[in-house]
Amino acid sequence: MFLVTELVTLLATNLILTQALGTSTLFIAAGSKKNLLWTAMTITVFTSVGSGAAYTVNRILPDSLADLTLLFYTLIIGAIYVIFLAVLYYTDFASFATARKYVHISAFNCAVMGTLFTITDRAAAYPELNTFVRFVLSGAEAGTGFILAAFILTAAYRKLNSAKVPASFRGFPAMLVYLGLISMAVYALR
Amino acid sequence: MNNKKTAVFDGLLGDNTVLSSLMVISPVIMCGNTLANAVALIYAFSAITFFSVVLGSFVPKRFPYAAKIIIYAVISSIVYIPVRTVAREFFPEVITHVGIYFPLLAVNSLIVVQSETKFCRMKRGTMIGSLVFYILGFDAVMIVTAFVRELLAYGTINGKLMDADTLISGLGLPFGGFIFLGLMCGLYRKVRSAARRENSETGGDGNVPRN
Amino acid sequence: MQTKIKSERFIWIDIMVTLLTLELMDYFYYGVRAAVLAGVCAAVSVAAELVCLRLMHRKFTADDLTCVSDALIISLMLPAVFDLKAAAIACVFAVVAAKNIFGGRLNMIFSPAAAAYVFLYTSWKNQLLMFPEPHTHTGVFEKAGSLVSSASHSFNITGKMNVSDFELLLGSVSGPAGAVSVLLLAVSAAVLLFRRSISAGAFIGSISATVLMALIVPASVTRADSVKYTLVTNMVLFASVYIVADRRIAPKREYFAFFYGFFVALFSYILVITTAKENAIVLVSMLFTPVALGFKNLEKHIELTQAAEREEAERLAAEAAADGEEAKADEQ
Repeated sequence: MFLVTELVTLLATNLILTQALGTSTLFIAAGSKKNLLWTAMTITVFTSVGSGAAYTVNRILPDSLADLTLLFYTLIIGAIYVIFLAVLYYTDFASFATARKYVHISAFNCAVMGTLFTITDRAAAYPELNTFVRFVLSGAEAGTGFILAAFILTAAYRKLNSAKVPASFRGFPAMLVYLGLISMAVYALR
Repeated sequence: MNNKKTAVFDGLLGDNTVLSSLMVISPVIMCGNTLANAVALIYAFSAITFFSVVLGSFVPKRFPYAAKIIIYAVISSIVYIPVRTVAREFFPEVITHVGIYFPLLAVNSLIVVQSETKFCRMKRGTMIGSLVFYILGFDAVMIVTAFVRELLAYGTINGKLMDADTLISGLGLPFGGFIFLGLMCGLYRKVRSAARRENSETGGDGNVPRN
Repeated sequence: MQTKIKSERFIWIDIMVTLLTLELMDYFYYGVRAAVLAGVCAAVSVAAELVCLRLMHRKFTADDLTCVSDALIISLMLPAVFDLKAAAIACVFAVVAAKNIFGGRLNMIFSPAAAAYVFLYTSWKNQLLMFPEPHTHTGVFEKAGSLVSSASHSFNITGKMNVSDFELLLGSVSGPAGAVSVLLLAVSAAVLLFRRSISAGAFIGSISATVLMALIVPASVTRADSVKYTLVTNMVLFASVYIVADRRIAPKREYFAFFYGFFVALFSYILVITTAKENAIVLVSMLFTPVALGFKNLEKHIELTQAAEREEAERLAAEAAADGEEAKADEQ
């Protein structure tokens, strides 16, 4: 019962299905199933670590400088991006060339940046969510939502790219409609 | 010459920002449901993208890829500040309504991906021309989407009530945006392939050599 | 191939027969308005299918008439007095967005009827969940005098039903006309199962999960009532037959189909008792489409692995035979 409720919550707060955040990234990564899952996992790291850092920025930045939030978030993501690449380079040089493309795709996109803004907005509305741990957990939850959306897309990947799909709709347009229909079911359940 | 001309116009029709490359689709899906939202987003997207890409083209090419991407994102975040200040004056209500999608325009794919892979490889004059058409490509899709969705979902055009007795409210919601954009994408591809076929049959723009 | 085509058509005929019986019952309770609603749905669906096939440069064959059965399923899930225009839009949506964009009946992903219902649920929810009382006959263009919420709604809220078992069995309760005729639905399910026109695994999985959950976490005062009412409300029986057990959507292998049906029903039962969400099974079946697709991918993977293993075994056997013959030749 608890699992079902949690799953519904995860779907109802899913960044892609309810807010269309990171849809472009999902489609870029949808070139192959392997790409999709690796990108989804890398994005989860970015959203989790980024959310923790966003909490710190929110604490430090005064309200009068709220317009600089985006700039600070960009710097946070930039720093995580560099650290991630450095860690990959020094720990696993052999697979660096392959792995770095996932980092490139995952760094600056609506999924990551949107998560930071969404969590910040939510924390402003519900003060009990305004803690470091809640921020990191919410970031991880958003990333998990992205992984879930990646699985949802992967399940239909073969059918959406099948030769039976009309040429004009094959691939991305069919994926958009497919995600739209799933998103519709999620909306109906909310 | 014709090829060059086509490449500059590509962003509007041949390689539309939204419909062909599926870039910047989140704001179209989420906020492209009323013309008021569309106008505010078009202003913000056009201003942020244009100035960020043009300024970004001055970043030395020898910098590593990751460094360049970070610099592009930082430039667009800085450009965002005056754009938001102006928007607050002209679209105060829409800014609240659009919410997080306003700042997210600063990390759109045209700036952080296409700057490096496409625009920075062009000569500055050509780049500006091409960039303008890519921006117009987004603007056109945003306007059409917002017009149709607002009319069918709320029965209004730019807030003015129309005589529509059956409204499909779902079309104004995110899932409606997904489905509508998917349909538009398919339609766009169909038209584009038909146009290309016609071009190749008639010799079109001169790209097909004729004996 | 010929057998496959025939079986597809036979399945459609079986389903149509049961649906037409339900439509007759619908006509009996709600008069000509119900028949017109079904007719509009069917006509619009055929027209939309024709246009789609024409655009895809495909011919309209008898197999494409499956759009009619989908249209009837949609009409049976609606109140008899539902707006005809909205119903027509939903049918176009089902045929175009949920079916033909993905390649039509050759490449089904979603149940068109479920997609249309969810579409209506998100855009015309108030109208969709208000029903005329049984035996209220309305003219084709008249508006219904008074509408009431469904028996499922009051059961979800109170855990009780204010109708006799006999009325329940005959479907003389407020609700979507096709989905409340329990006796007819039970007979339809038996016929379709016997004729193998629906996925037995998915149907049994769905029903067993509902019964199991109704026993473990009763939605009513007594466990017997809980099982009885849970099965007949919220379109559980109807959706289990025509949506969850749809052969085009459910996994082919019965045990995979069983788990698919089981999870759909389990999930929807929990939603009903925690959120009182009416007709949750239809919404959940739509949401579980990726699960069905996942099972189908697994089936394909298993088939490919088995085929590869068979090939390998045949190759080894052939090699062994050749070696044996060589050895014999050497001995000679």
